[in-house]
Amino acid sequence: MIPFVLDIITTAAILFAVASGLLIVLGVLKIVNFAHGAFLTMGGYSALLITQLGWSAWAAYPAAFVSGFLAGALVEHFVIRPLYERPLDAILATWGLGIIIGQLITIVFGREIRFVQTPIAGAASVLGETYSLYRLFLIGAALVVGGGIAALLGLTRLGLEARAVIMNEELARALGINSSFVRLVTFCLGAGLASLAGALITPLSSVDPGMGVPWLVNAFMLVLVSSVSLVSLAAAAIVLGGAQVVVSTFVSPVLGGLTIVVLAALLLRIRPQGFAHE
Amino acid sequence: MNEGGAGGPVVAPRRRILPAHASIGLGVAVLAGAAMTVAPAALDTYTVNILVRSFVYAATALTVDILWGYCGILTFGQAAFFGVGAYAAGIAFTYVGFSPQTAILALLAGLALSAAVAAIVGWISFFHGASPLYVAIVTLALPIIVVQLLYSGGTFTGSSSGLVGYSTFDLSVEAWFAITGVGLVVLTVVAWFFVNSDFGRVLVAIRENEQRCTYLGINTSLLKILLMVAMAMVAAVAGYAYAGYTVVVAPEIASFVFGTELVMWVALGGRGTLIGPVVGTVAIDLTSAYLSGNLPFVWKLIVGTIFVLVIVMLPQGLLPVIAAAARRLQRYLPRRTARSSALPVSLVPAASLVRQAFGSDAPALQIIGLDRRFAGLRVLEGLSFTALGGQLLSIVGPNGAGKTTLMRCLSDGFERSGGSVAVFGNDIAGYPPHRVARFGIGRSFQTTSLFETLTVAQCLRLARFRLDHTAMWSRSAQLALPDGAMRVLAATGLDRHLADESRSLSHGMKRALELAMVLAQDPKVLLLDEPTAGLSRSERTLIGRVLVDLSRREGLCILLIEHDLDFVRDISTRIIVLHQGKVLLDGSVEDVVKSDLVRSIYAGKVLQPAPRVAS
Amino acid sequence: MTSAALSIRDVSSGYGEAIVVRHVTLGVAPGEIFALLGKNGMGKTTLLKTALGLLAARTGRIGMFGNDVTGLPAYLIARRGIAYSPQEQTLFQDLTVEDNLRLGLRDDRRVAAEIDRVGQYFPIILERRRQRAGTLSGGEQKMLIVSRALMAAPRLMLIDEISEGLQPSMVERLTDVLRAERTRTGAAIVVVEQNVPFALSIADRYAVLKLGEIADSGDAADPSAWQRIQDHLSV
Repeated sequence: MIPFVLDIITTAAILFAVASGLLIVLGVLKIVNFAHGAFLTMGGYSALLITQLGWSAWAAYPAAFVSGFLAGALVEHFVIRPLYERPLDAILATWGLGIIIGQLITIVFGREIRFVQTPIAGAASVLGETYSLYRLFLIGAALVVGGGIAALLGLTRLGLEARAVIMNEELARALGINSSFVRLVTFCLGAGLASLAGALITPLSSVDPGMGVPWLVNAFMLVLVSSVSLVSLAAAAIVLGGAQVVVSTFVSPVLGGLTIVVLAALLLRIRPQGFAHE
Repeated sequence: MNEGGAGGPVVAPRRRILPAHASIGLGVAVLAGAAMTVAPAALDTYTVNILVRSFVYAATALTVDILWGYCGILTFGQAAFFGVGAYAAGIAFTYVGFSPQTAILALLAGLALSAAVAAIVGWISFFHGASPLYVAIVTLALPIIVVQLLYSGGTFTGSSSGLVGYSTFDLSVEAWFAITGVGLVVLTVVAWFFVNSDFGRVLVAIRENEQRCTYLGINTSLLKILLMVAMAMVAAVAGYAYAGYTVVVAPEIASFVFGTELVMWVALGGRGTLIGPVVGTVAIDLTSAYLSGNLPFVWKLIVGTIFVLVIVMLPQGLLPVIAAAARRLQRYLPRRTARSSALPVSLVPAASLVRQAFGSDAPALQIIGLDRRFAGLRVLEGLSFTALGGQLLSIVGPNGAGKTTLMRCLSDGFERSGGSVAVFGNDIAGYPPHRVARFGIGRSFQTTSLFETLTVAQCLRLARFRLDHTAMWSRSAQLALPDGAMRVLAATGLDRHLADESRSLSHGMKRALELAMVLAQDPKVLLLDEPTAGLSRSERTLIGRVLVDLSRREGLCILLIEHDLDFVRDISTRIIVLHQGKVLLDGSVEDVVKSDLVRSIYAGKVLQPAPRVAS
Repeated sequence: MTSAALSIRDVSSGYGEAIVVRHVTLGVAPGEIFALLGKNGMGKTTLLKTALGLLAARTGRIGMFGNDVTGLPAYLIARRGIAYSPQEQTLFQDLTVEDNLRLGLRDDRRVAAEIDRVGQYFPIILERRRQRAGTLSGGEQKMLIVSRALMAAPRLMLIDEISEGLQPSMVERLTDVLRAERTRTGAAIVVVEQNVPFALSIADRYAVLKLGEIADSGDAADPSAWQRIQDHLSV
């Protein structure tokens, strides 16, 4: 019973960490970043690089975040900004970028599945049952990520300006906020978070050039269902992630992988605001 | 062909006209088809092999172009239907064996299954208020689901390796080449007639301004679902052919990777051009086959990069760029008589809708206790009034009084938060705009974002979609319009611009077209939102006279939102003053003009301004 | 460029195909209160948005305090000490009163002091500082809008239809506040209004916009102004 509940919580934590970067980009820039999966993969390969260089596995996380942040800056400037008025084309362009990044990674690292060193090995004893220590660590990591974003949005000047841009960009500009800069920083942050999430999840399985893609669609569905609210995202992660675990355990793992997609699509059909309260 | 001019409409014989360049196009198509049958002799076997596959892909890309390029539905899901058709063949031939009966049954099964799935996907994605983003995501999820189902099918579906080596049609490679090649040509020709027909313009209109279409009484959700079903079936046939030819069906052919590749090919070839995606797909697939042997990842990298560059800098794709260059070259070739591609259209009077269809005794509009709340604000509060045919009722009030919101609540059953609205006794309940339009409501909009690339005639025909039959494979040479619309066209001179694209019209003409489109629906109640915004004085007078005419002679009930109070005073029979979401005053022009209450809202208090204090 | 607070010369602008403001020229001197009058849809809001850079001027030039600001993005113009209070969507409804005020001033270090200063004008705002702006009454929201505009002690204020829906006592209070601010800082204030008595009681000069053009202008204190304006605006 305990491992089951922990599975739900850790799955929700992972989903939240993966989707958070997508959420802030959607909120501020009003576009869906289809390159999110590619940034995720970049993060995984950053961790691989750290492993290959023989550095401490903990260095993977900042390395991933920084590489994602910088890549995000390039992408925002050259691809996103020109497509400000064409959001559907922005989706396509970011998808193309995802392919480019994927191919670059394949060229440099090759197609094989690789493994990354985990910073925390072994299991812990939780209420009498043993459970993977790394997965428990991920719960903490998700809380840190969520808390960090919330703090950034709620406590800093930049966060206040970002919230203003999310609510009413024209008014924000009329009050002296440089919304272009806010958009740039938000995108960089979103890409950095995606990359960080990639580094967080690779010790669980493996690294390969296509690892980002399955997470892509799940993250989208979660974000669509949460409108633009971190709290709703957390709620969606728990509910839908929990459903995924239930189906995987009691029906089949393959169908479990589809649960989030199917449930989210149906939920949005019935209630287009999803989990958001309005 | 006569054009209806100021002298009055001329009845022309009902003739179907082919779009211009049709004869040239057909000639080219016949040549291409013939080439398909003899080309294999000139090409090496490897190329012929690849091309068969390319032709099948191109047919699928064509369906994506129709859905996305023409109708504006961005879909990554056509691969799923391709896969369904392919697996129908693969499974049938593997487990039942190959025979003519099996072949036909497998094809029918593929068609039925893909149609059913498309109908479900369409029902999920296309509804009043759906966002195009949601549609894209659902169509992305569809192939993922299909692939997962195939994986979980175990040995029955062959799981990840798929089904191989089943017995199939006994045809040579050259025969397959001829079949798929000719099939592609035929499909392209048919598709071309389809998208250039009158019905094809409806698809384009949905892409350009779907909301406007729903207010013209067009059930856009249903049309999109039907289109998706049709395109799914075409993709299934393509998949079926693929399975018959390659004798391998694996989950990759139903994957979203393939689905996004299709979108890429369409984008690169030129979305909305039909020929571009077809040629582009064949060219890219063939080149990929040759290059990917040597540098597989670099080639994909190059394609991906070109794709992103095209999206950012050349959103129309490469074909239009090539076409523009070709046109510039054409200047150096000997001139032939220029043929206008726009079709001359003659106007004929439409039979007016029988009044008995609407409740004869009930008032045109009856509004009781109308409420609209939004984010805690009460935009409209307890609004009640009745409007009759023959009244020209102007709704005035300061900004934020709720006028446009009122219009929305009258034309869209979803909008209001409370109260009831009845049109000729029919409660609009929770009906979407296209159903409310059928009760006799015609609504015009403030902004003139009409249908940019459609001609004036095509816009008007769009307004008649619900009432007249719309040709699906050709263009009709006639356009039937009711008297009111005819008069607007004649009075504003629009009847001389029937063949002009609506984006080339002046602002005043656009407003006139907007009004004519509304009148073309033969409504009994007109809801006009600032019809004279941005017009010159003479244009306003003209519109005013037309409106007075319509209410007096035709007995239309007209509701008008206007800021130009002189205009309102001249033409109205009744004025309702809205203030902060409530009816402040409802009476004749005299009553309102003389009212102190109204003056105090508009021009400040009647008393002298307060003495100025030194500051 | 003159050193006028706001110099609009031969400016036209509009939305898409519709030209709403046609070749308008007007000037506002530093420390002057200027009333822009006219019926709905005549171009007052459009002119204000064009001045602020939210809408592109198709012809003409716009100057502020001696600098040509034509074509500058709105946020840069706002940072030059220009405060804007729009007609619609005026506040961030889901942010607190305090956060809305913070957004009126870019320098976070001075926010606390300025909130206290501005709170002198409308003490009720201080009382409600932790509440969501959307929960305030209509009149309180207007007070918040004006307070926000005053946060940065602007040199030029552009105020669009602030008196609409306010009780007379509130309108008087508003008049006093704006005049006091003008005296204190020498700010120029442009008020766009349909409420003519309020506008004339507060302004030094006025102009009437009709169909996008200036139909009349002059001193607000001129006794014949009232009648002329009434003629232009009457139903």
